[in-house]
Amino acid sequence: MLFETVALTLRVAIVATLLNLPLALALGWLVVKKRVRGAFILEVLASLPLAVPPVVVGYMLLLLLGRRGPIGSLVESSLGLEIAFTWIAAVLASAIVSFPLVARAVMTAMEEVDERLERSARTLGAGTVRVALTITLPLAHRGILAGVLLGFIRALSEFGATIIVAGNIPGKTQTIPLAIYDNIQLGRGEDTMFLVLVALALALATLAVHNWLLKRSRGRRA
Amino acid sequence: MVKSDIFLQFSVRKAYEGFTLDCAGRFKHRITAVFGPSGSGKTTLLNCVSGMLSPDDGDIEVDGAVVYSSSTGINMPPERRRFGYVFQQGALFPHMSVRQNVEYGYKLTPGSERQFEPDDLAYLLAISHLMDRGVGNLSGGERQRVALARALASSPRLLLMDEPLASLDAAHRASILTHLKSVSEQLGVPMVFVSHSLSEVLTLAPKMYALNAGKMVAYGSTPEIMAHPSVARIADYGTLENILRARVLEHDDEDGTSRLAIGDAVLVGPPTQSSPGESVSASIRSGDIILSLGAPPLTSARNAVPAVVRDVRETGGLALVYLDMGEMIVAEVTPGSARQLDLKRGRDVHLVIKTNSILTFTQDAG
Repeated sequence: MLFETVALTLRVAIVATLLNLPLALALGWLVVKKRVRGAFILEVLASLPLAVPPVVVGYMLLLLLGRRGPIGSLVESSLGLEIAFTWIAAVLASAIVSFPLVARAVMTAMEEVDERLERSARTLGAGTVRVALTITLPLAHRGILAGVLLGFIRALSEFGATIIVAGNIPGKTQTIPLAIYDNIQLGRGEDTMFLVLVALALALATLAVHNWLLKRSRGRRA
Repeated sequence: MVKSDIFLQFSVRKAYEGFTLDCAGRFKHRITAVFGPSGSGKTTLLNCVSGMLSPDDGDIEVDGAVVYSSSTGINMPPERRRFGYVFQQGALFPHMSVRQNVEYGYKLTPGSERQFEPDDLAYLLAISHLMDRGVGNLSGGERQRVALARALASSPRLLLMDEPLASLDAAHRASILTHLKSVSEQLGVPMVFVSHSLSEVLTLAPKMYALNAGKMVAYGSTPEIMAHPSVARIADYGTLENILRARVLEHDDEDGTSRLAIGDAVLVGPPTQSSPGESVSASIRSGDIILSLGAPPLTSARNAVPAVVRDVRETGGLALVYLDMGEMIVAEVTPGSARQLDLKRGRDVHLVIKTNSILTFTQDAG
Protein backbone atom coordinates (compact mmCIF):
# COMPACT_ATOMS: atom_id res chain seq x y z
CA MET A 1 0.00 0.00 0.00
CA LEU A 2 2.71 2.43 1.01
CA PHE A 3 4.70 1.69 -2.14
CA GLU A 4 1.57 2.10 -4.22
CA THR A 5 1.10 5.50 -2.64
CA VAL A 6 4.67 6.48 -3.49
CA ALA A 7 4.27 5.21 -7.08
CA LEU A 8 0.98 7.08 -7.51
CA THR A 9 2.52 10.26 -6.14
CA LEU A 10 5.45 10.02 -8.54
CA ARG A 11 3.13 9.33 -11.46
CA VAL A 12 0.91 12.31 -10.62
CA ALA A 13 3.89 14.64 -10.17
CA ILE A 14 5.65 13.48 -13.34
CA VAL A 15 2.58 13.81 -15.55
CA ALA A 16 1.77 17.21 -14.03
CA THR A 17 5.33 18.40 -14.73
CA LEU A 18 5.31 17.05 -18.29
CA LEU A 19 2.07 18.92 -18.84
CA ASN A 20 3.51 22.15 -17.46
CA LEU A 21 6.79 22.22 -19.35
CA PRO A 22 5.49 22.84 -22.90
CA LEU A 23 2.99 25.38 -21.55
CA ALA A 24 5.68 27.22 -19.62
CA LEU A 25 8.00 27.25 -22.65
CA ALA A 26 5.22 28.63 -24.83
CA LEU A 27 4.38 31.27 -22.24
CA GLY A 28 8.04 32.21 -21.82
CA TRP A 29 8.42 32.57 -25.57
CA LEU A 30 5.37 34.81 -25.85
CA VAL A 31 6.18 36.98 -22.84
CA VAL A 32 9.99 37.20 -22.93
CA LYS A 33 10.94 36.85 -26.58
CA LYS A 34 7.91 37.89 -28.59
CA ARG A 35 6.81 40.49 -26.00
CA VAL A 36 3.24 40.09 -27.15
CA ARG A 37 0.55 42.55 -26.26
CA GLY A 38 -0.94 41.60 -22.91
CA ALA A 39 2.28 39.95 -21.76
CA PHE A 40 1.86 41.63 -18.41
CA ILE A 41 -1.58 40.08 -17.91
CA LEU A 42 -0.29 36.67 -18.97
CA GLU A 43 2.52 36.92 -16.43
CA VAL A 44 0.14 37.86 -13.63
CA LEU A 45 -2.29 35.05 -14.51
CA ALA A 46 0.56 32.55 -14.69
CA SER A 47 1.61 33.42 -11.14
CA LEU A 48 -1.90 33.54 -9.72
CA PRO A 49 -1.97 29.95 -8.35
CA LEU A 50 1.06 30.86 -6.26
CA ALA A 51 -0.86 33.65 -4.59
CA VAL A 52 -4.21 32.01 -3.80
CA PRO A 53 -4.69 29.28 -1.19
CA PRO A 54 -4.47 25.85 -2.86
CA VAL A 55 -7.93 24.99 -1.50
CA VAL A 56 -9.31 27.83 -3.61
CA VAL A 57 -7.64 26.32 -6.69
CA GLY A 58 -9.14 22.96 -5.72
CA TYR A 59 -12.59 24.42 -5.25
CA MET A 60 -12.51 26.24 -8.59
CA LEU A 61 -11.34 23.08 -10.29
CA LEU A 62 -14.16 21.19 -8.65
CA LEU A 63 -16.65 23.73 -9.98
CA LEU A 64 -15.26 23.23 -13.48
CA LEU A 65 -14.62 19.50 -13.44
CA GLY A 66 -17.45 18.27 -11.22
CA ARG A 67 -20.40 16.43 -12.72
CA ARG A 68 -22.38 19.60 -13.04
CA GLY A 69 -19.43 21.78 -14.02
CA PRO A 70 -19.06 22.91 -17.63
CA ILE A 71 -16.00 20.76 -18.38
CA GLY A 72 -16.97 17.82 -16.20
CA SER A 73 -20.43 17.50 -17.74
CA LEU A 74 -19.04 17.85 -21.27
CA VAL A 75 -16.43 15.12 -20.75
CA GLU A 76 -18.94 12.86 -19.10
CA SER A 77 -21.54 13.21 -21.84
CA SER A 78 -19.07 12.83 -24.71
CA LEU A 79 -16.57 10.30 -23.36
CA GLY A 80 -18.49 8.80 -20.50
CA LEU A 81 -15.62 9.63 -18.15
CA GLU A 82 -15.47 11.33 -14.81
CA ILE A 83 -12.55 13.56 -13.97
CA ALA A 84 -13.26 14.74 -10.45
CA PHE A 85 -12.07 12.31 -7.78
CA THR A 86 -9.75 10.45 -10.19
CA TRP A 87 -5.96 10.56 -10.45
CA ILE A 88 -6.41 12.87 -13.48
CA ALA A 89 -7.94 15.44 -11.16
CA ALA A 90 -4.93 15.04 -8.86
CA VAL A 91 -2.67 15.65 -11.87
CA LEU A 92 -4.55 18.80 -12.85
CA ALA A 93 -4.53 20.12 -9.29
CA SER A 94 -0.77 19.58 -8.92
CA ALA A 95 -0.11 20.96 -12.38
CA ILE A 96 -1.96 24.21 -11.73
CA VAL A 97 -0.47 24.76 -8.30
CA SER A 98 3.09 24.09 -9.51
CA PHE A 99 2.80 25.92 -12.84
CA PRO A 100 3.90 29.35 -11.53
CA LEU A 101 7.19 27.90 -10.30
CA VAL A 102 7.96 26.31 -13.67
CA ALA A 103 6.79 29.33 -15.66
CA ARG A 104 8.75 31.85 -13.61
CA ALA A 105 11.95 29.81 -13.83
CA VAL A 106 11.55 29.34 -17.58
CA MET A 107 10.95 33.07 -18.08
CA THR A 108 14.02 33.98 -16.01
CA ALA A 109 16.16 31.46 -17.88
CA MET A 110 15.00 32.83 -21.23
CA GLU A 111 15.53 36.42 -20.15
CA GLU A 112 19.10 35.61 -19.22
CA VAL A 113 19.93 34.57 -22.78
CA ASP A 114 21.62 37.60 -24.35
CA GLU A 115 19.30 38.93 -27.02
CA ARG A 116 22.27 39.82 -29.21
CA LEU A 117 23.03 36.11 -29.60
CA GLU A 118 19.55 35.48 -30.93
CA ARG A 119 19.81 38.50 -33.20
CA SER A 120 23.16 37.32 -34.52
CA ALA A 121 21.67 33.94 -35.31
CA ARG A 122 18.80 35.62 -37.17
CA THR A 123 21.16 37.65 -39.35
CA LEU A 124 23.14 34.46 -40.02
CA GLY A 125 20.05 32.98 -41.64
CA ALA A 126 18.26 31.16 -38.80
CA GLY A 127 14.48 31.50 -38.53
CA THR A 128 12.75 31.90 -35.16
CA VAL A 129 12.26 28.16 -34.60
CA ARG A 130 15.89 27.39 -35.39
CA VAL A 131 17.03 30.22 -33.12
CA ALA A 132 14.92 28.76 -30.31
CA LEU A 133 16.30 25.25 -30.84
CA THR A 134 19.97 26.10 -31.41
CA ILE A 135 20.49 29.22 -29.28
CA THR A 136 17.78 29.99 -26.72
CA LEU A 137 17.00 26.50 -25.43
CA PRO A 138 20.60 25.21 -25.27
CA LEU A 139 21.64 28.33 -23.36
CA ALA A 140 18.60 28.34 -21.09
CA HIS A 141 18.38 24.60 -20.53
CA ARG A 142 19.84 24.52 -17.05
CA GLY A 143 17.50 27.20 -15.77
CA ILE A 144 14.56 25.50 -17.46
CA LEU A 145 15.47 22.14 -15.96
CA ALA A 146 15.84 23.75 -12.55
CA GLY A 147 12.31 25.15 -12.93
CA VAL A 148 11.00 21.75 -13.94
CA LEU A 149 12.50 20.21 -10.80
CA LEU A 150 11.09 22.94 -8.59
CA GLY A 151 7.67 22.35 -10.15
CA PHE A 152 8.12 18.63 -9.64
CA ILE A 153 8.76 18.93 -5.89
CA ARG A 154 5.84 21.30 -5.55
CA ALA A 155 3.64 18.78 -7.36
CA LEU A 156 4.88 16.00 -5.04
CA SER A 157 3.86 18.04 -2.00
CA GLU A 158 0.50 19.17 -3.29
CA PHE A 159 -2.24 18.78 -0.70
CA GLY A 160 -4.91 21.48 -0.51
CA ALA A 161 -6.16 21.53 -4.09
CA THR A 162 -5.84 17.77 -4.48
CA ILE A 163 -7.94 16.84 -1.45
CA ILE A 164 -10.80 19.04 -2.70
CA VAL A 165 -10.96 18.00 -6.35
CA ALA A 166 -9.46 14.49 -6.23
CA GLY A 167 -10.49 13.42 -2.78
CA ASN A 168 -8.43 11.16 -0.55
CA ILE A 169 -9.09 7.72 -1.97
CA PRO A 170 -6.39 5.17 -1.01
CA GLY A 171 -4.86 3.51 -4.09
CA LYS A 172 -6.68 5.90 -6.42
CA THR A 173 -6.02 9.53 -5.54
CA GLN A 174 -4.21 9.30 -2.23
CA THR A 175 -0.75 10.81 -2.74
CA ILE A 176 1.99 10.96 -0.08
CA PRO A 177 0.83 14.18 1.63
CA LEU A 178 -2.77 12.92 1.80
CA ALA A 179 -1.65 9.53 3.10
CA ILE A 180 0.46 11.20 5.79
CA TYR A 181 -2.56 13.22 6.83
CA ASP A 182 -4.69 10.05 7.06
CA ASN A 183 -2.04 8.13 8.94
CA ILE A 184 -1.62 10.91 11.47
CA GLN A 185 -5.38 11.01 11.99
CA LEU A 186 -5.45 7.25 12.48
CA GLY A 187 -2.41 7.29 14.76
CA ARG A 188 -0.29 5.00 12.52
CA GLY A 189 3.11 6.24 13.61
CA GLU A 190 5.31 3.86 11.62
CA ASP A 191 3.55 4.40 8.30
CA THR A 192 3.58 8.13 8.91
CA MET A 193 7.30 8.13 9.59
CA PHE A 194 8.03 6.04 6.47
CA LEU A 195 6.11 8.44 4.23
CA VAL A 196 7.64 11.47 5.91
CA LEU A 197 11.10 10.09 5.27
CA VAL A 198 10.25 9.35 1.62
CA ALA A 199 8.93 12.89 1.19
CA LEU A 200 12.07 14.34 2.78
CA ALA A 201 14.37 12.19 0.66
CA LEU A 202 12.60 13.13 -2.56
CA ALA A 203 12.68 16.81 -1.65
CA LEU A 204 16.35 16.77 -0.68
CA ALA A 205 17.44 14.93 -3.81
CA THR A 206 15.42 17.17 -6.11
CA LEU A 207 16.57 20.36 -4.41
CA ALA A 208 20.20 19.29 -4.53
CA VAL A 209 20.03 18.74 -8.29
CA HIS A 210 18.05 21.98 -8.68
CA ASN A 211 20.62 24.07 -6.84
CA TRP A 212 23.52 22.40 -8.63
CA LEU A 213 21.93 23.23 -12.00
CA LEU A 214 21.33 26.86 -11.07
CA LYS A 215 24.87 27.22 -9.82
CA ARG A 216 26.24 25.84 -13.08
CA SER A 217 24.07 28.07 -15.22
CA ARG A 218 25.31 31.10 -13.27
CA GLY A 219 28.91 29.95 -13.63
CA ARG A 220 28.55 29.79 -17.37
CA ARG A 221 27.40 33.38 -17.66
CA ALA A 222 30.16 34.81 -15.55
CA MET B 1 20.07 41.77 -63.62
CA VAL B 2 22.13 44.92 -63.79
CA LYS B 3 23.74 45.56 -60.45
CA SER B 4 23.40 49.18 -59.52
CA ASP B 5 26.43 50.70 -57.84
CA ILE B 6 24.22 51.87 -55.00
CA PHE B 7 24.32 48.97 -52.58
CA LEU B 8 22.11 50.42 -49.89
CA GLN B 9 19.33 52.95 -50.22
CA PHE B 10 17.09 53.81 -47.31
CA SER B 11 14.62 56.28 -45.97
CA VAL B 12 13.40 55.46 -42.49
CA ARG B 13 11.38 57.05 -39.73
CA LYS B 14 11.14 55.50 -36.31
CA ALA B 15 9.66 57.44 -33.41
CA TYR B 16 10.26 56.77 -29.74
CA GLU B 17 9.26 58.82 -26.75
CA GLY B 18 11.62 61.77 -26.86
CA PHE B 19 13.61 60.57 -29.85
CA THR B 20 12.85 60.20 -33.54
CA LEU B 21 15.12 58.73 -36.17
CA ASP B 22 14.25 60.29 -39.49
CA CYS B 23 16.87 60.00 -42.17
CA ALA B 24 17.59 58.84 -45.70
CA GLY B 25 20.71 57.86 -47.59
CA ARG B 26 22.20 56.18 -50.64
CA PHE B 27 25.44 54.34 -49.97
CA LYS B 28 27.57 53.34 -52.88
CA HIS B 29 31.09 53.32 -51.60
CA ARG B 30 32.42 49.95 -50.52
CA ILE B 31 32.88 51.11 -46.95
CA THR B 32 30.63 53.81 -45.61
CA ALA B 33 30.92 54.96 -42.03
CA VAL B 34 27.92 56.10 -40.03
CA PHE B 35 29.33 58.57 -37.55
CA GLY B 36 27.63 60.25 -34.62
CA PRO B 37 27.76 60.72 -30.87
CA SER B 38 26.06 58.12 -28.68
CA GLY B 39 22.30 58.49 -28.74
CA SER B 40 22.34 59.90 -32.27
CA GLY B 41 20.40 56.97 -33.71
CA LYS B 42 23.23 55.00 -35.35
CA THR B 43 22.25 51.68 -33.82
CA THR B 44 18.56 52.26 -34.43
CA LEU B 45 19.35 52.87 -38.09
CA LEU B 46 21.41 49.69 -38.28
CA ASN B 47 18.64 47.71 -36.59
CA CYS B 48 16.12 48.99 -39.10
CA VAL B 49 18.38 48.01 -41.99
CA SER B 50 19.09 44.55 -40.56
CA GLY B 51 15.39 43.90 -39.94
CA MET B 52 15.61 43.68 -36.15
CA LEU B 53 13.40 46.73 -35.89
CA SER B 54 10.56 47.76 -38.15
CA PRO B 55 10.55 51.45 -38.99
CA ASP B 56 7.28 53.34 -38.59
CA ASP B 57 7.53 54.07 -42.25
CA GLY B 58 10.04 54.21 -45.04
CA ASP B 59 11.79 52.07 -47.63
CA ILE B 60 14.99 50.04 -47.59
CA GLU B 61 16.59 48.60 -50.70
CA VAL B 62 19.74 46.55 -51.01
CA ASP B 63 21.29 46.01 -54.43
CA GLY B 64 18.05 47.24 -55.95
CA ALA B 65 15.95 44.65 -54.06
CA VAL B 66 13.34 45.93 -51.63
CA VAL B 67 13.71 44.46 -48.15
CA TYR B 68 11.33 46.86 -46.42
CA SER B 69 8.62 49.15 -47.68
CA SER B 70 5.88 50.58 -45.55
CA SER B 71 3.79 51.51 -48.60
CA THR B 72 3.67 48.00 -50.07
CA GLY B 73 3.86 46.20 -46.75
CA ILE B 74 7.09 44.34 -47.58
CA ASN B 75 9.09 43.49 -44.47
CA MET B 76 11.61 40.76 -45.09
CA PRO B 77 12.64 38.98 -41.86
CA PRO B 78 16.32 39.36 -40.86
CA GLU B 79 17.19 35.76 -41.69
CA ARG B 80 16.21 36.30 -45.32
CA ARG B 81 17.94 39.65 -45.79
CA ARG B 82 21.39 38.05 -45.70
CA PHE B 83 23.16 40.93 -43.98
CA GLY B 84 26.08 40.12 -41.77
CA TYR B 85 25.97 41.90 -38.41
CA VAL B 86 28.89 42.40 -36.06
CA PHE B 87 28.15 43.66 -32.55
CA GLN B 88 30.40 45.66 -30.27
CA GLN B 89 31.47 42.65 -28.22
CA GLY B 90 31.25 39.89 -30.77
CA ALA B 91 28.14 38.19 -29.37
CA LEU B 92 29.73 34.80 -29.99
CA PHE B 93 27.63 31.73 -29.18
CA PRO B 94 29.10 30.62 -25.83
CA HIS B 95 27.98 27.00 -26.16
CA MET B 96 29.82 26.44 -29.43
CA SER B 97 33.46 26.18 -30.49
CA VAL B 98 35.04 28.84 -32.66
CA ARG B 99 34.54 26.59 -35.69
CA GLN B 100 30.87 26.00 -34.87
CA ASN B 101 30.41 29.74 -34.53
CA VAL B 102 32.04 30.43 -37.87
CA GLU B 103 30.11 27.63 -39.59
CA TYR B 104 26.71 28.50 -38.09
CA GLY B 105 25.64 30.79 -40.91
CA TYR B 106 27.73 28.99 -43.53
CA LYS B 107 25.69 25.83 -43.02
CA LEU B 108 22.45 27.78 -43.40
CA THR B 109 23.60 29.27 -46.71
CA PRO B 110 22.59 27.29 -49.80
CA GLY B 111 25.65 25.81 -51.58
CA SER B 112 25.07 27.89 -54.69
CA GLU B 113 25.21 31.13 -52.68
CA ARG B 114 28.31 30.37 -50.66
CA GLN B 115 31.12 32.70 -51.61
CA PHE B 116 33.68 32.14 -48.89
CA GLU B 117 34.93 29.01 -47.16
CA PRO B 118 35.26 29.09 -43.36
CA ASP B 119 38.86 27.92 -43.47
CA ASP B 120 39.85 30.64 -45.95
CA LEU B 121 38.20 33.28 -43.77
CA ALA B 122 39.95 31.87 -40.71
CA TYR B 123 43.26 32.22 -42.51
CA LEU B 124 42.51 35.76 -43.68
CA LEU B 125 41.52 36.82 -40.17
CA ALA B 126 44.35 34.91 -38.45
CA ILE B 127 42.10 32.67 -36.35
CA SER B 128 42.99 29.29 -37.92
CA HIS B 129 44.81 28.24 -34.77
CA LEU B 130 41.71 28.98 -32.65
CA MET B 131 39.14 27.05 -34.66
CA ASP B 132 38.85 24.06 -32.35
CA ARG B 133 38.83 26.04 -29.13
CA GLY B 134 35.87 27.21 -27.12
CA VAL B 135 35.06 30.90 -27.24
CA GLY B 136 35.37 31.47 -23.50
CA ASN B 137 39.04 32.36 -23.31
CA LEU B 138 39.45 34.46 -26.44
CA SER B 139 40.80 37.99 -26.16
CA GLY B 140 38.68 40.93 -27.29
CA GLY B 141 40.49 41.16 -30.61
CA GLU B 142 40.15 37.43 -31.26
CA ARG B 143 36.43 37.56 -30.45
CA GLN B 144 35.90 40.33 -32.99
CA ARG B 145 37.84 38.46 -35.68
CA VAL B 146 35.75 35.33 -35.02
CA ALA B 147 32.56 37.42 -35.16
CA LEU B 148 33.72 38.91 -38.45
CA ALA B 149 34.55 35.48 -39.90
CA ARG B 150 31.17 34.17 -38.72
CA ALA B 151 29.31 37.02 -40.41
CA LEU B 152 31.31 36.69 -43.64
CA ALA B 153 30.89 32.91 -43.79
CA SER B 154 27.16 33.41 -44.36
CA SER B 155 28.10 35.21 -47.63
CA PRO B 156 26.27 38.40 -46.72
CA ARG B 157 25.16 40.91 -49.32
CA LEU B 158 26.14 43.62 -46.90
CA LEU B 159 28.12 43.72 -43.68
CA LEU B 160 26.74 45.88 -40.87
CA MET B 161 29.08 46.66 -38.01
CA ASP B 162 27.95 48.39 -34.84
CA GLU B 163 30.95 49.92 -33.06
CA PRO B 164 32.98 46.74 -33.57
CA LEU B 165 36.10 48.34 -32.09
CA ALA B 166 34.62 50.27 -29.20
CA SER B 167 35.45 47.72 -26.52
CA LEU B 168 39.00 47.00 -27.70
CA ASP B 169 42.30 48.44 -26.54
CA ALA B 170 44.51 50.40 -28.95
CA ALA B 171 46.55 47.43 -30.13
CA HIS B 172 43.53 45.27 -30.95
CA ARG B 173 41.75 48.19 -32.51
CA ALA B 174 44.58 48.89 -34.92
CA SER B 175 44.84 45.21 -35.77
CA ILE B 176 41.10 44.80 -36.49
CA LEU B 177 41.05 47.98 -38.57
CA THR B 178 43.83 46.56 -40.71
CA HIS B 179 41.99 43.26 -41.01
CA LEU B 180 38.80 45.07 -42.02
CA LYS B 181 40.71 46.88 -44.74
CA SER B 182 42.01 43.63 -46.17
CA VAL B 183 38.58 42.00 -45.92
CA SER B 184 37.07 44.84 -47.88
CA GLU B 185 39.84 44.80 -50.48
CA GLN B 186 39.99 41.05 -50.93
CA LEU B 187 36.37 40.01 -50.53
CA GLY B 188 34.56 43.07 -51.85
CA VAL B 189 31.64 42.81 -49.41
CA PRO B 190 30.12 46.26 -48.96
CA MET B 191 30.29 47.46 -45.37
CA VAL B 192 28.40 49.91 -43.22
CA PHE B 193 30.56 50.76 -40.26
CA VAL B 194 29.01 52.52 -37.28
CA SER B 195 31.42 54.44 -35.10
CA HIS B 196 31.73 57.43 -32.85
CA SER B 197 35.49 57.57 -33.41
CA LEU B 198 36.81 59.85 -36.13
CA SER B 199 40.12 57.97 -36.18
CA GLU B 200 38.36 54.74 -37.10
CA VAL B 201 36.27 56.44 -39.74
CA LEU B 202 39.32 58.17 -41.17
CA THR B 203 41.27 54.90 -41.35
CA LEU B 204 38.60 52.75 -42.84
CA ALA B 205 35.92 54.60 -44.70
CA PRO B 206 36.30 56.85 -47.72
CA LYS B 207 32.70 58.03 -47.26
CA MET B 208 30.96 59.09 -44.12
CA TYR B 209 27.39 59.73 -43.11
CA ALA B 210 27.05 61.88 -40.02
CA LEU B 211 24.00 61.55 -37.77
CA ASN B 212 23.00 63.74 -34.89
CA ALA B 213 19.80 63.56 -32.83
CA GLY B 214 18.22 61.18 -35.32
CA LYS B 215 18.86 63.35 -38.38
CA MET B 216 21.48 63.16 -41.09
CA VAL B 217 23.67 66.24 -40.76
CA ALA B 218 26.27 65.60 -43.47
CA TYR B 219 27.18 62.98 -46.04
CA GLY B 220 30.12 62.85 -48.43
CA SER B 221 33.80 62.05 -48.69
CA THR B 222 35.42 61.55 -45.31
CA PRO B 223 37.97 64.42 -45.49
CA GLU B 224 35.21 66.83 -46.43
CA ILE B 225 32.64 65.64 -43.90
CA MET B 226 35.15 65.31 -41.06
CA ALA B 227 35.68 69.06 -41.18
CA HIS B 228 32.02 69.89 -41.82
CA PRO B 229 30.73 72.51 -39.35
CA SER B 230 27.90 70.27 -38.16
CA VAL B 231 30.38 67.45 -37.56
CA ALA B 232 32.78 69.81 -35.80
CA ARG B 233 30.05 70.37 -33.22
CA ILE B 234 29.86 66.67 -32.36
CA ALA B 235 33.43 65.55 -32.99
CA ASP B 236 36.43 65.43 -30.71
CA TYR B 237 39.43 66.21 -32.91
CA GLY B 238 41.83 66.11 -29.98
CA THR B 239 41.93 62.32 -30.08
CA LEU B 240 42.36 62.08 -33.84
CA GLU B 241 45.00 59.56 -34.84
CA ASN B 242 46.18 58.03 -38.09
CA ILE B 243 46.15 54.24 -38.10
CA LEU B 244 48.37 53.09 -40.93
CA ARG B 245 49.66 49.86 -42.37
CA ALA B 246 53.42 49.58 -42.01
CA ARG B 247 56.08 47.03 -42.90
CA VAL B 248 59.06 46.39 -40.67
CA LEU B 249 62.30 46.94 -42.63
CA GLU B 250 65.00 46.40 -40.03
CA HIS B 251 65.79 46.67 -36.35
CA ASP B 252 68.58 48.80 -34.98
CA ASP B 253 69.21 47.20 -31.63
CA GLU B 254 71.98 49.61 -30.69
CA ASP B 255 69.76 52.58 -31.35
CA GLY B 256 66.65 50.89 -29.93
CA THR B 257 64.56 51.66 -32.98
CA SER B 258 62.94 49.95 -35.95
CA ARG B 259 62.71 51.23 -39.49
CA LEU B 260 59.20 51.11 -40.91
CA ALA B 261 57.90 51.54 -44.46
CA ILE B 262 54.61 53.45 -44.52
CA GLY B 263 53.34 54.35 -47.97
CA ASP B 264 56.34 55.70 -49.87
CA ALA B 265 58.08 56.85 -46.71
CA VAL B 266 60.56 55.17 -44.41
CA LEU B 267 60.22 56.18 -40.77
CA VAL B 268 62.26 55.52 -37.69
CA GLY B 269 59.89 54.15 -35.07
CA PRO B 270 60.15 52.53 -31.66
CA PRO B 271 61.40 48.93 -31.49
CA THR B 272 58.82 46.30 -32.43
CA GLN B 273 58.44 42.60 -31.68
CA SER B 274 57.78 41.81 -35.35
CA SER B 275 60.54 40.54 -37.64
CA PRO B 276 61.75 42.41 -40.72
CA GLY B 277 59.32 41.85 -43.60
CA GLU B 278 56.30 41.52 -41.32
CA SER B 279 53.37 43.92 -41.37
CA VAL B 280 52.39 45.97 -38.35
CA SER B 281 49.88 48.71 -37.67
CA ALA B 282 51.24 52.12 -36.81
CA SER B 283 49.37 54.88 -35.06
CA ILE B 284 50.37 58.54 -35.23
CA ARG B 285 48.28 61.23 -33.57
CA SER B 286 47.40 64.08 -35.88
CA GLY B 287 48.38 66.60 -33.25
CA ASP B 288 51.87 65.09 -32.99
CA ILE B 289 52.79 65.85 -36.60
CA ILE B 290 54.75 69.04 -37.29
CA LEU B 291 54.69 70.50 -40.80
CA SER B 292 57.73 72.17 -42.27
CA LEU B 293 58.26 73.92 -45.60
CA GLY B 294 61.38 72.35 -47.10
CA ALA B 295 63.53 69.85 -45.26
CA PRO B 296 64.03 71.07 -41.70
CA PRO B 297 67.54 71.60 -40.34
CA LEU B 298 68.71 68.97 -37.89
CA THR B 299 66.16 68.49 -35.10
CA SER B 300 65.80 65.98 -32.33
CA ALA B 301 62.90 64.43 -34.22
CA ARG B 302 64.19 61.52 -36.27
CA ASN B 303 61.74 61.73 -39.13
CA ALA B 304 61.33 64.41 -41.80
CA VAL B 305 59.24 62.86 -44.55
CA PRO B 306 58.30 64.63 -47.79
CA ALA B 307 54.56 64.73 -48.55
CA VAL B 308 52.12 66.67 -50.70
CA VAL B 309 49.15 68.58 -49.32
CA ARG B 310 45.94 67.20 -50.79
CA ASP B 311 43.40 69.19 -48.86
CA VAL B 312 43.13 71.67 -46.00
CA ARG B 313 39.93 71.99 -43.97
CA GLU B 314 39.44 74.54 -41.25
CA THR B 315 37.07 73.54 -38.52
CA GLY B 316 36.38 74.24 -34.90
CA GLY B 317 39.44 76.41 -34.29
CA LEU B 318 41.91 74.13 -36.03
CA ALA B 319 42.96 73.10 -39.52
CA LEU B 320 43.01 69.49 -40.69
CA VAL B 321 45.69 68.99 -43.32
CA TYR B 322 45.36 65.90 -45.52
CA LEU B 323 48.76 64.81 -46.73
CA ASP B 324 49.87 62.23 -49.24
CA MET B 325 53.00 60.23 -48.49
CA GLY B 326 51.90 57.20 -50.49
CA GLU B 327 49.28 56.73 -47.76
CA MET B 328 46.93 59.49 -46.66
CA ILE B 329 47.78 60.98 -43.30
CA VAL B 330 46.10 63.83 -41.43
CA ALA B 331 47.93 66.49 -39.47
CA GLU B 332 46.28 68.94 -37.13
CA VAL B 333 47.62 72.51 -37.02
CA THR B 334 46.22 75.86 -35.95
CA PRO B 335 44.48 77.91 -38.64
CA GLY B 336 47.19 80.53 -38.04
CA SER B 337 50.05 78.25 -38.95
CA ALA B 338 48.09 76.92 -41.93
CA ARG B 339 47.92 80.48 -43.24
CA GLN B 340 51.52 81.30 -42.33
CA LEU B 341 52.81 78.27 -44.22
CA ASP B 342 50.33 79.01 -46.99
CA LEU B 343 49.14 75.40 -46.88
CA LYS B 344 47.01 74.56 -49.87
CA ARG B 345 46.41 71.75 -52.29
CA GLY B 346 49.58 70.67 -54.13
CA ARG B 347 52.05 72.27 -51.71
CA ASP B 348 55.15 70.20 -50.89
CA VAL B 349 55.91 69.96 -47.20
CA HIS B 350 57.88 67.80 -44.80
CA LEU B 351 56.26 65.94 -41.95
CA VAL B 352 58.35 66.07 -38.81
CA ILE B 353 57.53 63.16 -36.54
CA LYS B 354 59.27 62.06 -33.35
CA THR B 355 60.12 58.38 -33.00
CA ASN B 356 58.09 58.18 -29.82
CA SER B 357 55.02 59.65 -31.51
CA ILE B 358 54.75 56.47 -33.54
CA LEU B 359 53.05 53.51 -31.86
CA THR B 360 53.29 50.13 -33.50
CA PHE B 361 51.02 47.13 -33.01
CA THR B 362 51.53 43.62 -34.31
CA GLN B 363 48.83 42.67 -36.82
CA ASP B 364 47.44 39.64 -35.13
CA ALA B 365 47.64 41.22 -31.70
CA GLY B 366 45.76 38.98 -29.27
